[in-house]
Amino acid sequence: MIEIEGLSKLYGRDVFALEDFSMHVGKGEFVFLTGPSGAGKSTLLRILLCQEAPTTGRVAVGGRDITRLKPREVQTYRRTLGFVFQDFKLIPGKTVFENVMFALRILGVPDVQQRRRTFQVLKWVGLQHRANAYPLELSGGEQQRVSIARALVNEPTLVLADEPTGNLDPDLALEIMNLFREINSTGTTVLVATHDRELIRHVGHRAVTLDHGRLAIG
Amino acid sequence: MLFAGLKYFVSEAVTGLWRGRRSTVLSVVTIAAALFVLGIFLAVTANLDALVARWGAAAELSVYLRDDVSLAERAEVQRALRGDPLVREVQLVTRDEALARFRRDFPDLAPAVSGPEAHPFPASFEARLAPEASGGDLVESLAVRLRGMRGVSDVRYDRLWLQRLQSIAALVGWGGALVGAVLALAAALTVTNVVRLALFSRRDEIQIMELVGAPLSFIKGPFVMEGILQGALGAILALGALGLAISLARGRLAAAAPGLIDANSIVGLPLATLVLVVVGGMAVGCLGALLAARRLG
Repeated sequence: MIEIEGLSKLYGRDVFALEDFSMHVGKGEFVFLTGPSGAGKSTLLRILLCQEAPTTGRVAVGGRDITRLKPREVQTYRRTLGFVFQDFKLIPGKTVFENVMFALRILGVPDVQQRRRTFQVLKWVGLQHRANAYPLELSGGEQQRVSIARALVNEPTLVLADEPTGNLDPDLALEIMNLFREINSTGTTVLVATHDRELIRHVGHRAVTLDHGRLAIG
Repeated sequence: MLFAGLKYFVSEAVTGLWRGRRSTVLSVVTIAAALFVLGIFLAVTANLDALVARWGAAAELSVYLRDDVSLAERAEVQRALRGDPLVREVQLVTRDEALARFRRDFPDLAPAVSGPEAHPFPASFEARLAPEASGGDLVESLAVRLRGMRGVSDVRYDRLWLQRLQSIAALVGWGGALVGAVLALAAALTVTNVVRLALFSRRDEIQIMELVGAPLSFIKGPFVMEGILQGALGAILALGALGLAISLARGRLAAAAPGLIDANSIVGLPLATLVLVVVGGMAVGCLGALLAARRLG
């Protein structure tokens, strides 16, 4: 699903966020990306989301090199992904329902189907009763579940998550991880960046460790 | 899909305008001011044009006869006028009729010509010209020909005066277009800044839209629609103010010069121009928003 070969990302003249990094993630796999702060986890996810371009190296997702996409192609590519961030990235002026439905609206899905699918996903994350609430009216755990619902609503083949439990207490973090496990059980590839080794031990699955931009354990 | 997209743009734009209502008011008023000034110039030009057309249609050629003109010479001049295709109607005004007209039109000055000495008013032919003859060179050549005839002392034609009025109307029109263009540019730049503020205040939202893969048109659309709506609102406001100004002008001018200016002769802008002003306002808003949304790619 994800093939990364000799990836480097240089900031300025000599600060390597990633250096000659290679990694393969198979289709339907659940992989943790771990390492201390500044190891390059977030940079890697930003490259996978096409928010940044690598300095050198090849990154292919689903067999397609994503480092040379035009702006329009980037948007099309992103529509095939689901993403979850530590700070939830919900639109504050839209309700929970609208936030989730937005990902379907841009796909041009008919109105009725948009509503049906949004309701299904919200029910799956257990938030159907908060559909009309605004993000700021929700707890951190609830906001992250909305974010997961939005990531899933378009049935992506790959879900990327950057420190999705960073703002949550351990019980909630485990609850969120269980959701990711469930997502993965349907065949969706999941890549989660976290520095929480305890959580990784608890959840299991393969962990790729980064240190100073290089592959430490993979 | 197209209708759904448009509906989404409009609903998002209305929400955005309401959210930033203070800056919305600023740009709507700026657009309205620009279009109002342009509208005033258009209205003045339209009224001057109408005046020129009205006076042009009533343009007269006056052929003054010498006091010693013979009947044969007078008949010759009359024939020359009647035989010309530019002349629609010819009327002889005798010296006595000219005096009577003077006394009627200027009663205050009547005593000045009531003495025993001969009055100074010459007899004349007043020729009403065909409307298409107004301002043409053919009238000038007719005037030259008449001036050369025996028994004619002078020929007067209000063509020069009409031409001057036409030039003024054209000048007002061009001046209005220039001032309007400068103000429209200023309005577009105001919209640019207002939309830029909206983009800045919603940068997180835009980033999220980009991350979920929203097409650029989907991200830009609501902002461009905001600009268009600001333009439309500004234009409607400007037209309302213009209508009020025209109706005030009708009352004031008619009161200031009763009998000389007929209130009903002051015309408003034709429907096509009104539509053009609204479309122009929307175009200005759209341009401003597009300038602001450039950075979105």
